[in-house]
Amino acid sequence: MVSPEDDVRQQALGEIRRILGEELAVAAAVEPGKALVADLHLDSMELLTLAVGLENRFRVKLNEADGAGVKTVDDLANLVARRVCEGRA
Amino acid sequence: MNPLRSPAISAVGRALPPHRADQETLIAAFRELWAKQHFNVERLEDLHRAVRVGGRNLALPLDQYPALDTFQKRNDAWIRAARSLGAEAVRRALEAARLPVEAVDHLFFITVTGVATPSVDALLVNDLGLRADLKRTPIFGLGCVGGAAGIARAADYLRGFPGHTAVLLSVELCSLTLQREDLSIPNIIASGLFGDGAAAVVLQGGDARPSRPRVPRVVATRAVFYRDTERIMGWDVVDTGFKVVLSAKVPSLVKERIRGDVDAFLAEHGLDRSRIAHWVAHTGGPKVLRAFEEALELPPSALERSHRSLEETGNLSSASVLFVLGELMDVEGEPPREGDLGLLLAMGPGFCSELVLLRW
Repeated sequence: MVSPEDDVRQQALGEIRRILGEELAVAAAVEPGKALVADLHLDSMELLTLAVGLENRFRVKLNEADGAGVKTVDDLANLVARRVCEGRA
Repeated sequence: MNPLRSPAISAVGRALPPHRADQETLIAAFRELWAKQHFNVERLEDLHRAVRVGGRNLALPLDQYPALDTFQKRNDAWIRAARSLGAEAVRRALEAARLPVEAVDHLFFITVTGVATPSVDALLVNDLGLRADLKRTPIFGLGCVGGAAGIARAADYLRGFPGHTAVLLSVELCSLTLQREDLSIPNIIASGLFGDGAAAVVLQGGDARPSRPRVPRVVATRAVFYRDTERIMGWDVVDTGFKVVLSAKVPSLVKERIRGDVDAFLAEHGLDRSRIAHWVAHTGGPKVLRAFEEALELPPSALERSHRSLEETGNLSSASVLFVLGELMDVEGEPPREGDLGLLLAMGPGFCSELVLLRW
């Protein structure tokens, strides 16, 4: 059975792929293990666009301290899932 | 090239529109708009604070902007405001240069924030009583590099006509380009950074004797184009007007390129960076100014005027670097000394840069 957090994680992965593909025209494959900066080469404005897009879609706030621990696509999806579930608790 | 026969910059006239709004007032005005689409409005407020702009002078009172809901209304407002602000800047520049309006042989007009035909320079022939045989060169599209490029093109002209006087006028009313429905991050940053203003520069050819003592002369200029960087900065022209294209790669491009370009330009004239006493840099934003400082290894005070201008008025696109030049020329206390060298530099859509070597 899929936990609520896993479910949100999958949705967040889908939204990250959508924003990167549709809004930021990132051509590379967006795999969970890919690093946002080192592999996908996102710059500061693109990272911000990604963060704001996720905040809008999932109605959560991602602060700067959160960002320190986020390196990969998976880290970001996990963070969004955690914030959503904290909000529900 | 004999520097004493080079075109002189006799004066800079600056004009800001009267409607001053501090950054917090502008943030409050944007908040409702942002909240339509964005969940974390505080993040966007922080973005507006991070650009280190204390406030802007706006072409219109703040409460008149929401009614400008079409390109036509915004551009009509732009023509009216550009005409009056441009005239004010030219009058101030000619007065400072102690020249009558009839002395002007050529008017270069630079903008990227509105369109008009007849162009604003033509409207000013009527408004200012400029001569009927005035040569006019309206230039649209250079963006932030336009002030530096305009000085370079006007100087080129004056080398061909050393007895002539040229005026370079830049009018940028960035507030009248704002796409209220574009809630993208680049547009939100642009709406926090760019302001309105006009600057006019009087340049006199090498045969003329400038009426003001100790003015800078345009010794040499250099244009540098960066191939395949078209999406770094610019406009997408859409049904509603000018939609901003702004990449976060601007500061890194400055860092990568400006040092090599400046060094090569100076070396061509037997100079290096240590000989430059006055740096006149376009106020692109705090990150761009830091990139200039780091790449060119400048002392902390070298770009103080640019930082202050950014804080006071925001980024005025092509007019910004002219505002900084005007402040340097009008400085009281310790003005530049005879023989001092200066480098005026700006970057803009293309992507490209323009470098102007000055000698007092």
